[in-house]
Amino acid sequence: MPEVFIDGKRFEYEGEQRLLQFILDNGMEIPFFCYHPSMSAPANCRQCMVKIGQPKKDRETGEFELDENGERKIVWFPKLQTACNTMIADGMVVLTQETDELVERAQKDTLEFILANHPLDCPICDQAGECPLQIQTYKYGPEGSRFEVKKVHKPKRVQLGPRVILDAERCINCTRCVRFTDEISKSHQLTIMQRGDKNYPVTAPGREFDDAYSLNTVDICPVGALTSADFRFKARVWEMNQTPSIDISNGKGCNIDLWTRDNLILRITPRYNEAVNDHWMPDIGREAYKLFNENRVQRPAQKLDDEQINSSWNNAFETLAEKIESTDKKEILFIGSPHASVEENYSLMTLANLLGAKTPVFTTNIIEGYGDGFLLDDDQAPNTNGCRLLGLEEKDAKSLKKEVKSAKLIVLLNDNLIDREVLEAGDLNDKFVAVFATNRTETSKVANILIPVTTAAEHAASYVNVDKRIQRTFPAKETKYTDRRLDIEMSEGRLDRYGTSFDNWVTEDNKVDCIPFWNFVSQLGERLGLKIELRNGREILDEISNKIPAFSGVSYEEMDVQSGISLGGKKETVKS
Amino acid sequence: MAYEFTKEDLEQIEKIKAKFPEVKPATLPVLWVAQNRFGHVEPEVQRLVAETLGLPEAHVHGVATFYTQYYKEKMGKYVLDVCTCLSCQLCGGYDILHHIEDKLGIKAGETTEDGMFSVQQVECLGACGYAPMLQVTNGKYVNHLTKEKVDNLIKALKEGKEPDYEQMEMPLRKV
Ligand code: SF4
Ligand code: FES
Repeated sequence: MPEVFIDGKRFEYEGEQRLLQFILDNGMEIPFFCYHPSMSAPANCRQCMVKIGQPKKDRETGEFELDENGERKIVWFPKLQTACNTMIADGMVVLTQETDELVERAQKDTLEFILANHPLDCPICDQAGECPLQIQTYKYGPEGSRFEVKKVHKPKRVQLGPRVILDAERCINCTRCVRFTDEISKSHQLTIMQRGDKNYPVTAPGREFDDAYSLNTVDICPVGALTSADFRFKARVWEMNQTPSIDISNGKGCNIDLWTRDNLILRITPRYNEAVNDHWMPDIGREAYKLFNENRVQRPAQKLDDEQINSSWNNAFETLAEKIESTDKKEILFIGSPHASVEENYSLMTLANLLGAKTPVFTTNIIEGYGDGFLLDDDQAPNTNGCRLLGLEEKDAKSLKKEVKSAKLIVLLNDNLIDREVLEAGDLNDKFVAVFATNRTETSKVANILIPVTTAAEHAASYVNVDKRIQRTFPAKETKYTDRRLDIEMSEGRLDRYGTSFDNWVTEDNKVDCIPFWNFVSQLGERLGLKIELRNGREILDEISNKIPAFSGVSYEEMDVQSGISLGGKKETVKS
Repeated sequence: MAYEFTKEDLEQIEKIKAKFPEVKPATLPVLWVAQNRFGHVEPEVQRLVAETLGLPEAHVHGVATFYTQYYKEKMGKYVLDVCTCLSCQLCGGYDILHHIEDKLGIKAGETTEDGMFSVQQVECLGACGYAPMLQVTNGKYVNHLTKEKVDNLIKALKEGKEPDYEQMEMPLRKV
């Protein structure tokens, strides 16, 4: 197998590989800015300098020439090379900043140049704390600067597009953002204008940077030059918790991170998953963070004289139980939801089965032509395939209406059927409607009894995307009834760890008064004398995988190891 | 104002395109075609070039702004690039610049009202041996400038007479 020597250590490798990526993959480090594993490597930041040589071979015998100590003679490149665009070759010898003083010096001096016109405004910069320039200057940079002349000034607060703002002074012209629009989103909206120390990225004159994926440039910008118009100045990164999750605003199921502070989701960023979304996600998915914070249903409510009045949880259990008991089971319609998780839909099925009612139904939420063949799919719901695989009955709007007509009691699991015009409010007149909802909507308004349930940000639950890949979320945000310190799946940030309820940065109101749907079902079952034991997502999924063949072998552990499991659908890799 | 290439321009552009395996490298020469036609490549013209070549507008904009020789705004009929880089500066480049500014009643970077002249202060044009010097509209160099030489030049240009190419004597190559 071909070999390469890095800082005196021997590594074997296979296939074509970029030196920089190989070094990173093997747990070593070289500072770099312009390189990105999913894009071309133009080598324009010059930060990843290393010393490279090849062993000398005798042309006749093909043997390595040896020096007097029996070591291979090395022919060094006359100058230092950039690791990012160097392909490894057999026998290559590489010295990094760890073992070579010249390399260390070169990297330091490159940083001094990169910083020559950088404003060094980290204290007021959004990127601080997650800034490659900041980190690498700290690790490899010079202590000061020999440039004593005035810095070049460039435009600040340029609204490049509706969602992205540019501070041209911070830009180090790595061209990652430009390459993103050229190679990944293919909108070709950005370019670098001017040259020398005057250059910075712009759109063509009079054009907006309104790419549907524009916010990815904010993620990959290695400095604070591109910031999100929505998120900027909201929080310092080190005050937030980062929790892995799944995008629930589209059927693609992009892997994401939820960033929380004080139990509010402040931003959503993509999480790398080669099989789903690579490093990217659409802008629209990031806006979904509002769903978790705003307009939430809090405490159960019951409709009295056409007005929803907050009630106690006990009242909610009692009222619904009584309704179920007094209704002919054939006249109960359970409506599942492609917007709810596998576990929630399964809980609904369990309840329906034990009551001897009909199997729950659901309608898809697909907008033909909405998808773009990249990370936006026609399917607007995160779990359409989950409902199908569980065996819920798929109905179109017309037949659902018919079902509704013949029912007396309707139990609706988190699906805004009225908002998305599958049903009309009139269809539900003179029925008793129990709605389990996360947010206040036109649909939640019609509920005779409205019960708040947890969102994907508050429970661990799984979703099956359009490519039949099952992936799961982690709880990121506390409810009134959960506690970060007791739930080992929840991440704790500094503020969470040290704040008590009496600290002024802890806002009790940010914890929503809601419970997971399966908990409600279990307690309702107890009240109805049914044997239902649904305790948490993990156990429910184990039960599902035992009972339903489509899910066999699926568990949270396995999903965590493989970042999702393909349930027989076509396996797709995002490569643009 | 809507800009359009003439039929001849388009034929020329086709010829340029045929020289390269891809369209992208044609950006530079086609920007020249445009500048020769319209006298500048302001954003509207850049857009025309992008559309004609089927390239992203942003790309054409990037190329046009990279090179100072492309005029990104309307310029005078004659653009006087006066060098004030080191050699010219030492030999009186600034005196020449200021003389031109006074004479035309504009500052560097401006255009006269009649649209005849623009003056620019530029960096080294590679003619240090004949400093101080200036360049007329991306083309001819006028060397060893004196105030009289400048006056004559401006007078001639006003009459539509462009200067001739000057053969310069070099130490090792006598004319
Ligand atoms: S804005 Fe950021 S990503 Fe774009 S070129 Fe500048 S530093 Fe690179
Ligand atoms: S990462 Fe290698 S030159 Fe920028």
